[in-house]
Amino acid sequence: MTSLEQARELLRAHPVVDGHNDLPWALREQVRYDLDARDIATDQHTHLHTDIPRLRAGGVGAQFWSVYVRSDLPDAVPATLEQIDCVRQLIDRHPDALRAALTAADMEAARAEGRIASLMGAEGGHSIANSLGTLRGLYALGVRYLTLTHNDNVDWADSATDVPKAGGLTAFGREVVREMNREGMLVDLSHVAATTMRDALDVSTAPVIFSHSSSRAVCDHPRNIPDDVLERLPANGGIAMVTFVPKFVLQAAVDWTAAADENMRAHGFHHLAATAEAMKVHRAFEESNPRPVATVATVADHLDHMREVAGIDHLGIGGDYDGTAFTPEGLGDVSGYPHLLAELLDRGWSHPDLAKLTWQNAVRVLAAAEDVSRDLRTTRPPSNATIESLDG
Amino acid sequence: MADLQHDLHTTPEVGEPADPFPPFADVPDAAVAPLSDPDADPLDRAHTLLAAHPVVDGHNALPRALRRLPFYDLQLGESGVGTDLPRLREGHVGALFWSLHPPAGPACGTAVAATLEQVDLVRSVIRAHPEGLRPARGAGQVIDARNCGRVAVVLGPAPATALEDSLGILRVLHSLGLRVLTLAGTTWASEAGLTRFGEEVVREMNRLGVLADLSGASDATIARTLTLSRTPVLCTRSAARALRPHPDNLSDELLAALGTAGGLCMVPLAADQTGPTLRDVADHLDHVREIAGPGCVGLSGTHDSGAAHPQDLTDAAGYPHLIAELLRRGWPETDITQLTWGNIQRVLRTAEFAAQTAQQRREQSTATITELDRP
Repeated sequence: MTSLEQARELLRAHPVVDGHNDLPWALREQVRYDLDARDIATDQHTHLHTDIPRLRAGGVGAQFWSVYVRSDLPDAVPATLEQIDCVRQLIDRHPDALRAALTAADMEAARAEGRIASLMGAEGGHSIANSLGTLRGLYALGVRYLTLTHNDNVDWADSATDVPKAGGLTAFGREVVREMNREGMLVDLSHVAATTMRDALDVSTAPVIFSHSSSRAVCDHPRNIPDDVLERLPANGGIAMVTFVPKFVLQAAVDWTAAADENMRAHGFHHLAATAEAMKVHRAFEESNPRPVATVATVADHLDHMREVAGIDHLGIGGDYDGTAFTPEGLGDVSGYPHLLAELLDRGWSHPDLAKLTWQNAVRVLAAAEDVSRDLRTTRPPSNATIESLDG
Repeated sequence: MADLQHDLHTTPEVGEPADPFPPFADVPDAAVAPLSDPDADPLDRAHTLLAAHPVVDGHNALPRALRRLPFYDLQLGESGVGTDLPRLREGHVGALFWSLHPPAGPACGTAVAATLEQVDLVRSVIRAHPEGLRPARGAGQVIDARNCGRVAVVLGPAPATALEDSLGILRVLHSLGLRVLTLAGTTWASEAGLTRFGEEVVREMNRLGVLADLSGASDATIARTLTLSRTPVLCTRSAARALRPHPDNLSDELLAALGTAGGLCMVPLAADQTGPTLRDVADHLDHVREIAGPGCVGLSGTHDSGAAHPQDLTDAAGYPHLIAELLRRGWPETDITQLTWGNIQRVLRTAEFAAQTAQQRREQSTATITELDRP
């Protein structure tokens, strides 16, 4: 049996729990939630990384659908609710393939039925509008993790890709983490500054997750996790879900992106500008400097290192599909996971190791967060602290 | 089956053919055994009637008032607010509609975030008083709560602004338990009436089983919603404009239309809408019953909303006095039980049936305000 066949065999018993997929945002941006225009029961590879046939081919057994909204919107909460409605509509429309999941037990039940457990994660603290009541509202609607920030700082936490301001978590930020522990919502530390990661690990009594982040020692990018934080995962019980985004995982791609951005600025454009002239400048740059290509081996390098530092019990997968324009070779869409597993088999990872990576670790973490929550709910009332009262 | 005993005399719904064999057509009312001793003191009779047919209060703003208090205990009694469990029990209140309208004045944060916070507060208040309060999402659960000796809490009315012009948010709020939405104060439900998107909102509300509240809505919105809605509507705090001119009160014309449509005019205990005495409130109830019919009148405490209340009706404990006054004025017992309990049960149940039917026939609406209102 080739390692690819072995990988597929293994995924049938221990399917992938993927930490982050931006399909709802892609549906919002491309067709404004017109779900008939992007029927994910059929092949959508010309528009999307994700559809049900490819999720099946990729051996996906549980998906955290991101209910991400942009942090520069004047108001994130209504948009977040629309994203939640979108996920619910997807689940309603495809009852044969998707099953709503709120707990670890639901994930196991979905696996037993051969359906894809569908969970929700909110990406960025801006989605709770500085309110613990809104945080609990999102939990009640089924959101099971909150990434503390997106690319921009929030009032109570620093992002990895913004100018440091709070120096980690503020007092209110710590209260948010405590309240998440109490509710049973996972604390997601992707996107946040290393200082915020350390503060959150100090405060959280439940395991944390990195829904889509790789290793900073392998590829030096602020979105990745430094080793000193990875080392703390065994004590915390949490998991780092490796992401595939080339400009985070491949040093050549990091450097190339920096050079491309620099080139845009040199021509007087914002580095994210997408006007016709800006695109022309960008294309000219890309022609003379070919974009470096990440591969399955690049991602496996990260996993090897993260396993060394954090241990096999503290790994997971978070592809960030439909949230990134470029993907590594062999991992072009959600059908690619078996290739990653085949590569790891070739590197000597055992079947029990891979079962932990794909399924068991993530389910364990959600179950542990539920245990902590059950305990805390009996000992402390819901917090109504405000950012004004704590941060002044 | 406890819920069926209250169908004393039902009025036909919109478009329903009149029953060709009316059950009690030539039986005089007196033939129905009286629920209380007609010779007893009216106040005692009121207590007897309310014990079996408690008040469903169409508008209570307690969550908003609790926000101001650092500490409260509704179980033992809370002097800082107008609603607490001892007084709810004294007044025989069986169910409360908890308003999610934000306090007047500059809004803090956006409407939808404010609404989520209110919902969270309601949930934690209910959770903190398991002996007294119980959340209810429909007619059946309201009855269950009463049968368990609890006060049922129904979420709503919420302001239309909470939707942020999105049907997705309406569905999300419904899943959190919202059952009533006030159609006023947005671009799609304004003085000019409902826009095309506004009409789509009403259809989606029908599909979900969210009742329309038309108190505070413009006359054009009221008229259009009455025509459009497949379920009866509520006016959660409206009195008779013929007796007292107030923008939220209903003209006789609208009251008659509401009666034809089977909707409910819930008369508020608010001095500026009804007048300063208990007898004024009774006058309004008399008038609404006469114009809209006994099947279309309800009660709305408006406690803790900041409104000034008529004498003797300043808190939930006042209802028996009001009922006693109505008995003195010769209201039949069946009309009283409809007023306090029966009518709102009919409306909630009709909305649930209509929603079940509509969900078979209609997909979720993905229409947006941009598509419908700004072509």
